Amino acid sequence: MTWSDFVEGSRHVISAIMGLVATPVLIYFLVVNTSLLVLIGLAAWEFLRQNRRKGYAGREETVASQLAQGVSVVLPSYNEEAVIVTSVQAMLSMRYPRHEVIVVDDGSTDATFEHLRRAFELVPVQREVPSDLPTRGTIVDVHIPRDGRTRLVVVRKENSGKSDAINVGINAAVEPLVVFVDADSILDPDALIVVTKPFADDPTRVVATGGVIRAANGCKVVDGRIVEVNLAKPWIVRIQVVEYLRAFLLGRTGWSRFGALILISGAFGMFRRDVLVEVGGLNPDSIGEDFELVLRIHRHMIENRRDYRVQFVAEPVSWTEVPMTATVLRGQRKRWHRGLWETLWKYRGMAFNPRYGRVGLVAIPYYWAFELIAPLLELVGLILVVLGFALGVVSTPYALMFLAVAYGYAILVTLVAMAVEELTFHKYTRWRDLGTILLASVLENVGYRQATAWWRLEGWWASLRGKKQVWGTMTRQGFDDESCAVTRSERR
Amino acid sequence: MRAGQVLLIVIAVIGLSCASSIAVIAISKFRRGRADVRSRALLAPYRHALIAIASGEDEDGQAKTALSALPAPTWDRLRPSVVAFLPKVRGTPADDLGELLRSHGEIERATRMLTSRSAIRRTRAAYLLGLVRDPNSAALVLPLLGDPDADVRLVAARALGAIGEPSAASGVLHALRTYHGQIGLPAWVAAEALLAMGVQIAPALRIGLASEDPAVRNVCALVAGHGTFASAAPQLRILLATDSEGDVRASAAVALGRVGGAEDEAALARHTDASETTALRRTCATALGDLGQRESLDTLAGLLDDGDRRLAQLAADALVRIGSEGITRLKEAAAGQCPSARVARGALDLAGLRGQLPVSAEES
Repeated sequence: MTWSDFVEGSRHVISAIMGLVATPVLIYFLVVNTSLLVLIGLAAWEFLRQNRRKGYAGREETVASQLAQGVSVVLPSYNEEAVIVTSVQAMLSMRYPRHEVIVVDDGSTDATFEHLRRAFELVPVQREVPSDLPTRGTIVDVHIPRDGRTRLVVVRKENSGKSDAINVGINAAVEPLVVFVDADSILDPDALIVVTKPFADDPTRVVATGGVIRAANGCKVVDGRIVEVNLAKPWIVRIQVVEYLRAFLLGRTGWSRFGALILISGAFGMFRRDVLVEVGGLNPDSIGEDFELVLRIHRHMIENRRDYRVQFVAEPVSWTEVPMTATVLRGQRKRWHRGLWETLWKYRGMAFNPRYGRVGLVAIPYYWAFELIAPLLELVGLILVVLGFALGVVSTPYALMFLAVAYGYAILVTLVAMAVEELTFHKYTRWRDLGTILLASVLENVGYRQATAWWRLEGWWASLRGKKQVWGTMTRQGFDDESCAVTRSERR
Repeated sequence: MRAGQVLLIVIAVIGLSCASSIAVIAISKFRRGRADVRSRALLAPYRHALIAIASGEDEDGQAKTALSALPAPTWDRLRPSVVAFLPKVRGTPADDLGELLRSHGEIERATRMLTSRSAIRRTRAAYLLGLVRDPNSAALVLPLLGDPDADVRLVAARALGAIGEPSAASGVLHALRTYHGQIGLPAWVAAEALLAMGVQIAPALRIGLASEDPAVRNVCALVAGHGTFASAAPQLRILLATDSEGDVRASAAVALGRVGGAEDEAALARHTDASETTALRRTCATALGDLGQRESLDTLAGLLDDGDRRLAQLAADALVRIGSEGITRLKEAAAGQCPSARVARGALDLAGLRGQLPVSAEES
């Protein structure tokens, strides 16, 4: 067979494949983006409702309430010496009538505990931590502030991973509601008031709420509080701002409005403690522990015929640093997609199962079709287009139109999401930031999207091959001193 | 139509939609920015006067007089700032801000809006009337407790609580009921409203404690405890002993811990038995500490070894609250090796840090 025969044969094959898959792939793109538009529409409706209630939401009454349900804020921490003191101070000073802060030091090898001990005058107590949830890491000791009144508990334990650290925190928690917050996250001062509101309004049915996560990079932080919202300079961060806006804020609000929210971010989620104990807490072996937990709660509640709600609250904001380098972003996306796959596979019995209502019939199939498989189809489509070009199978104008429809619609979805954000929360007040975000929504489709699709497939493939998950290194800035770059090792 | 033409049309539609979205973003931002600037400029001359009223420094009433004389367009801009101050102030500043609103006809307007067809307007009206705590408004807000809109009912209950109108208590309790699958008033909102109405709600509370609706009984038990309605004790005892709902029994236990007496010790102790639910056992252990009777010492000391370690902690804390005899029991337990030793030592550590130990105990 000569080279020209090979090329001709390839041409026929590619042409046949393209004829077969071009239209379905295009339709798939249109359906993905249309479903996102529907979610954004639902979110806009919800924002409208929430905004109208803002004027009489009664936050001051909640702050003064003697009947508000108590909250235990659980902060798992591992080598967080740069941020831990500021973070704990900010958590303790949050506006809420009854909350405690539980820091679980997961065997840090830096001065995390020492900084805490000095800042809060910690002294050891022989407090017993109940074993409501099974845990792995041995507890070393428990400390509280010398005044005995400040509601801070620091539990030191051997390193056993974030999920296990959270489970220890749940065991140590004494309040009926538990919120998990990353030690390097910054909460808005009223976050607890707002995120507990669904529990207060419907205490018997609401079992979990999640708050929105936004990117803290570039923001001005004073004493653990965001005082000025700005965009960071690297485009990789700016594009993630757009992504977070579309997926975390609007996507999850839409799912919540639809009554089928199946993912609450581990960086800011609130749960009823008794429900967490009932379902066995977080699974330390799961990569996507937050996703796995929420799905387990859904399954448990439905199988026990309990009337329950899982809600997303768009307004209280948790600010977190997003990856600033491609290497870190790659690790994150690999982990996220691997967690998505492993969790969806574990709960595959719920998909298309009418017993699980909207969760089983809509949300889980959606995640299979449009979250898990999306990167695969996107890359296959791109490879075919490139091969088609190279072999002269597709005409340039047709291919460009094809890409323009696919990516143009994706850009439109992002712009609509931004319009909703601008009409409701408008966190980015500078024209320059707004222009930058607009540009980022276009640039997202040039390189970034394809790279993340590839990384997601890497994560999926690693799981299929049974490769052990290796946690990368996350470079973070301290809150107060922007020149202080701190390397924090993520761990298992 | 060929596929290429279809794609071109789709691209055109997408392009136009993108341009429209960008226009919406830009126009929205521009308009908001301009409105903020205008509003700030318009309000700047009056900020000082408003702050003087809100901080109670307008002793000669000059600021109030000046703001009362504002023309309608300026007042419309200032109004949200006045309303925003109201939940944060009490006493004279709150009264002055209320008068300011009244002088601009806001109270009459809100009264009219209570019957508006728009639920949002009804809610805002009830909210404003609650903020100014106008006793004459209570009778007008009361019917909103039966409003078809949940937000209106919620804000009406809060408003009646803020006004402190005890005759509204039975209405608030009635609004707790669930109708046609629609959730009634949140328990905490109802309880807060009732507590704010004062001791005159006692008759309504007694009726509520005997209600067929568990949500009503639960809220009444909560209020009886938090508001220290001692006259409710006999009914609370019945609820603790016989109610079919765990939440109601737990609320009754909490209340008895606060308003009960020596005669309640045995009942509370009985409900710490292992045959009871975890929640009720824990609640009763805490209630025994609140009750503070020395007769509870044996029960609480016995719970230090319980398999439910959280219950053991609560029992240890309760022993501390009972006082020196409870602390002596803890010291005895701490000296041993059984599971109770650690929990007892933890409670003693905490009590020591809080200065709750007698001097001799701290030294030892």
